[in-house]
Amino acid sequence: MSAPTERPINVYRVHAAALWIAAFLALVLQAFLPVVLPLARLVDLPLLVVIYFSITRRSKVFGTLFGTVVGLGEDALSHGFLGMFGIIKALVGYFGAWASIQFDLEQFAARLVLTAALVLFHSVALAGFERALLESVPAWQPLDLAATLLFNVALAPVLFQLFDRLRRPA
Amino acid sequence: MSDAPNQGRRALPVGPKLSRDGLLELRSPESSPPVAPRAPETPQLVQAFVSRHRSFFILAAVLVAQLALLVVQITRARILPPAKGWAVTVLVPFERSLRGLTDVTGGSWEAFRNLTEAEDQNHELSARLADDETRIRELSAKAAENERLRLLLDFKARAPFATVPAEVIGASPGENSNTVLIDKGADAGFATDLPVVTPAGVAGKIIAVYPQSAQVLLITDPSSGAGSLVQNNRVQGILKGAGRGLCQLDYVMNQDPVSPGDVVVTSGLDQIFPKGLPLGTVVRVGEGNLYKQIVVRPAVAPDRLEEVLVVTSKPAAPEEARSQAH
Repeated sequence: MSAPTERPINVYRVHAAALWIAAFLALVLQAFLPVVLPLARLVDLPLLVVIYFSITRRSKVFGTLFGTVVGLGEDALSHGFLGMFGIIKALVGYFGAWASIQFDLEQFAARLVLTAALVLFHSVALAGFERALLESVPAWQPLDLAATLLFNVALAPVLFQLFDRLRRPA
Repeated sequence: MSDAPNQGRRALPVGPKLSRDGLLELRSPESSPPVAPRAPETPQLVQAFVSRHRSFFILAAVLVAQLALLVVQITRARILPPAKGWAVTVLVPFERSLRGLTDVTGGSWEAFRNLTEAEDQNHELSARLADDETRIRELSAKAAENERLRLLLDFKARAPFATVPAEVIGASPGENSNTVLIDKGADAGFATDLPVVTPAGVAGKIIAVYPQSAQVLLITDPSSGAGSLVQNNRVQGILKGAGRGLCQLDYVMNQDPVSPGDVVVTSGLDQIFPKGLPLGTVVRVGEGNLYKQIVVRPAVAPDRLEEVLVVTSKPAAPEEARSQAH
């Protein structure tokens, strides 16, 4: 990733409706897909949506708020407490936007590396939260973590290519 | 560090200080005019700091709010945030639609897979059916052959004359020639004019013998002839071949009572065919000038000959038998 001082940064805009529809669909599919495809539980579509749009908008405020809303939506559909995913996805949105300001993320490899880092952060932070806040501590599953990382990083380029069609130069 | 707005005058410190022009100014304490007290600048600094790091503070506020929400939920476990109910209520119709869509798609895919499997199974079963049909035909043929051979064996056992079985291995070409080739000849002791029969009746006689085969003239051939008589009324005649798989019974007077359905058998008077063997059945009777015109369908279908018996010894004639007895 190169510093932005030597080259101009492309700024894109995404229609608000497309953004929120994408987030809503991600939540719906995240709830539905594991029913028909058990492996889908390893994929976190809302997380990938938050990563993409926070990178694209290059706004830490937007990333934080968008991640919060999506995370709270995911909390509402889960059996856990409201705020677990909200907190972590707010952080993911913030860091994703921060990275997009600091580095040039138009390159495929750069996006992939950042996605992997944020997915890893998300999984570790979630595990940490559960250990800190919940009475029953879930067993550490390194294989699950590796599989989650692999599946999300593999799906990210496909999803990002799809979302790239929604954005327009500002 | 951001620039603070310059509101109010700044107090000049005692001692040397740079002026606006950059010149060092030397002021003595006695000559400095009195200055106003310093205006408060902390709020501005704070405001500047907050606006500079706005995003961080928003993040912090969001995190704190959600942490508080978590704490409330954990400490008061019976409280269920209404947001969960709203979220589920909103999503349920979409989940149902997706489920319906996947059911239809899955059903279609399943139907397509079943169709493909059914097609494959159809091919496989068709191939097996063809094999089974072939096998059934073979078994049927073997069963039929078995039955024929059994009948042949029974006939051979019951016949008052010696026979040698042979298999038809060829037929002569031409519409008007009715001969077949059998798989035994001189090697089996065959000779010309030996009768060839089947359990159904007379087939013909040997007209040519080769080392390992023999040619049989069928009774349907126009050049053949056999002494015959009508079984029920003993009317005698000569059975000749008429071609096209039929025979005719000649030299039966118009007044002799012969009717369709009468069975014609060998008379034994030709010294070739044993007496009493079926030759055929009368199918048509017509009046001629002197003799009847009788058409006979042969007892042995010439186009269905497969196994035959060659009569190698004939029963002795009654006169011979009496002389031998004496």
